[in-house]
Amino acid sequence: MNPAAEAARPVPQAAPVLRFLRPGLRPGEWLERESVFSWLMLTPPLLFLLAFLGYPFVYGVYLSFFQRQVASEAQFVGLGNFINLWGDPIFWQAAGNTVKFTAAATVLKMTGGLGMALVMNQNFRLKSLTRALLLLPFIVPTVLSTVAWQWILDPGMGLINRLLIVSGLVTTGPSWLGNPTLAMVSIILVNTWRGLPFFGISILSGLQTIPTELHESATIDGAGTWARFRHVTLPLLLPVVFIVTTFSLIFTFFDFQLVYVLTGGGPANATHLMATYAYSLSMGSGQMGLGSAAALSMVPVLGLVLVVLARYVRKE
Amino acid sequence: MTQRILSAHPISRRKLLTGAALGAAGAAAAPWFARHAQAKPASITFMRESAYVKPFDDHFQNVLAPAYEKLTGIKVNYEIAGAGGAAVARAIAIVESKAPVDMAWAQQEWLYREGLADVSDIAEHIGKTQGGWYPEVTRLSKWEGVWKSVPHANIGQVMVYRRDWFEEAGIKKFPDTWDAFLEAAIKLKAKGHPFGMSMGHGWADNNSWLLPLLWSFGSEIVAKDGKTIHLDSAETAKAVDYVRTLYQQGCIEDCVGWLDPANNKAFLTSQISCTNNASSILISAKRDLPEMGKVIDHAENPKGRKGRFHSLVPVTHCIFSQTPEPEETKKFLRWLMEPKQAAPWYASADMYFAPFMHAYDKSPEWNKEPRFKVFQKVLETGKLWLWPAPADRRAGQTINTWVIADMFAKACTGASTRQVIADAMTGLKQIYGKA
Repeated sequence: MNPAAEAARPVPQAAPVLRFLRPGLRPGEWLERESVFSWLMLTPPLLFLLAFLGYPFVYGVYLSFFQRQVASEAQFVGLGNFINLWGDPIFWQAAGNTVKFTAAATVLKMTGGLGMALVMNQNFRLKSLTRALLLLPFIVPTVLSTVAWQWILDPGMGLINRLLIVSGLVTTGPSWLGNPTLAMVSIILVNTWRGLPFFGISILSGLQTIPTELHESATIDGAGTWARFRHVTLPLLLPVVFIVTTFSLIFTFFDFQLVYVLTGGGPANATHLMATYAYSLSMGSGQMGLGSAAALSMVPVLGLVLVVLARYVRKE
Repeated sequence: MTQRILSAHPISRRKLLTGAALGAAGAAAAPWFARHAQAKPASITFMRESAYVKPFDDHFQNVLAPAYEKLTGIKVNYEIAGAGGAAVARAIAIVESKAPVDMAWAQQEWLYREGLADVSDIAEHIGKTQGGWYPEVTRLSKWEGVWKSVPHANIGQVMVYRRDWFEEAGIKKFPDTWDAFLEAAIKLKAKGHPFGMSMGHGWADNNSWLLPLLWSFGSEIVAKDGKTIHLDSAETAKAVDYVRTLYQQGCIEDCVGWLDPANNKAFLTSQISCTNNASSILISAKRDLPEMGKVIDHAENPKGRKGRFHSLVPVTHCIFSQTPEPEETKKFLRWLMEPKQAAPWYASADMYFAPFMHAYDKSPEWNKEPRFKVFQKVLETGKLWLWPAPADRRAGQTINTWVIADMFAKACTGASTRQVIADAMTGLKQIYGKA
């Protein structure tokens, strides 16, 4: 081949993945390349996620197929732990409680959060201060606020019963945490109180992206307040509401701290959720395999929620 | 000027990453170097549950730990886990993860004793030199012939009541039988001072009267063989019926869902006249509510057809198998349990933690507050949870999934006696059937 033809021949390119390994680059230049630097930056969080989320999850799946007690050899039992849970009435009670708790608290947070956002979207004095104060339930550590709720719900000294008695509605306040039904109502209310700001602020950010021209056009067309809300605001807010609700469903489904501190799952398991039950089996009773199986039994439900979320986001 | 300096010495990505990597490696290796740079360990890490009696923790941190460091040069790190079950979960996590913790002041070691070192030499030496052990606790600490822990103390649980309100109701002496106890509860509730008997998902204040009540009614949960479940009996049914009546006619409604701190709060806010608790209520009242402190008293649990019982809430010292310094940790534990160190430590908590060694039976500390003397009797009549069944993991699981407490709580909130016993039997079969 003559030298001119050889010079004209295209230089073969290295495969993209290996391009940064091209010889002739000094380490400094190599490090300054975007493809190298971006992976270097991505690696620590990826390793962090693998170590603190990936590994525990995979280990949890592994444990769920073993009878494995603390500091003891594991014995493979296949689906034995799941079969054991299937026949366990407390497991089913906790599953039912979790569904009730999640559904009620999420609906309350969604409607309450929407109302909160609509109010905060108005112009009024001390708006910024009010917005900051409404975030407090979300900012205060859950354990701390739940201890405060223990006092608020106290039958004799609690704020709620005091108010009920002073207002003349009752002569003796109810037992908020002693009555099984009221205990469930109480944990739903406390979860709603804590989660409202998440909905309120997220929906408010959605509200602020709605162009005012649309409301003005609707007003000119004769739409009243309700019609504007129903046909302009709500359709444009739905994507935000949907995503926030889905995230909240996941958080609420796995709520642990609130119930653990407020009722410990009592009275008589009336407020036991899947998370508290899995904890009492594994960390309270040393049954790591059975506890893992209980915790994993929530995964299909969570997976379903995630699939719905992913499909919706893709469609959008 | 600053800008010029910065631009003259730019921090490149390479330098940033190299610096960060070196820093992280140094930080990670520091504890290893600290531990291995000398023959003796630089420190011993000691985990324990936060005491309800603060002077007990203070005495350790301010007196004992500095004294040991002065004597040996070894620093004792005191890791405090939250009270109310958190320490049990922490101990399990330490055993599972082989965390660098050397020893613990432990509760419920039956859940993780396979992860504990043999401390027979220390336990037997203390037994010989300090008057011998109260026998019941040895069923917990000595497992299959090996001491897996050194018993430390019992957190005694007895009846705590308002003497003034009892006297106002015409009750001069605390009821001696469960029947008299029920009568007193009805009288006191009628006067606006109900009893508050915990039945929620706590660990001590529920079991400390429910289990003794079952035993004194003649009921047994699991037999001594650890296999035969005996709960479903006429005696259990009578005990369930009794508790339902006591709750409905003599108790505050809230107590069915109480966690351990709740009855302290209810008592100290004058909402209840009687509960079952450790001495923490009296200690708090003497400190913060001195007038109330004068009218609080303690009494043994009432007796039933089969006698009078109490439940033990034992705390023990154990050494984790994974400790890299077993001998140094043992030396520390030996030193800690010598009367010279241990006696003032027990005294700092006004004998809230009652020693399991007979050498302390005649300790003058018991006479400082006559109302604490009753806790000594608990050492004599106290039984481990699920007695007479072995103090093993299954007993722990029964307690920590609240099989027994829930049986009573369900009965109090509307379920039939037959149903609640059947539910408890299902729970027990799940646990003991998979032995």
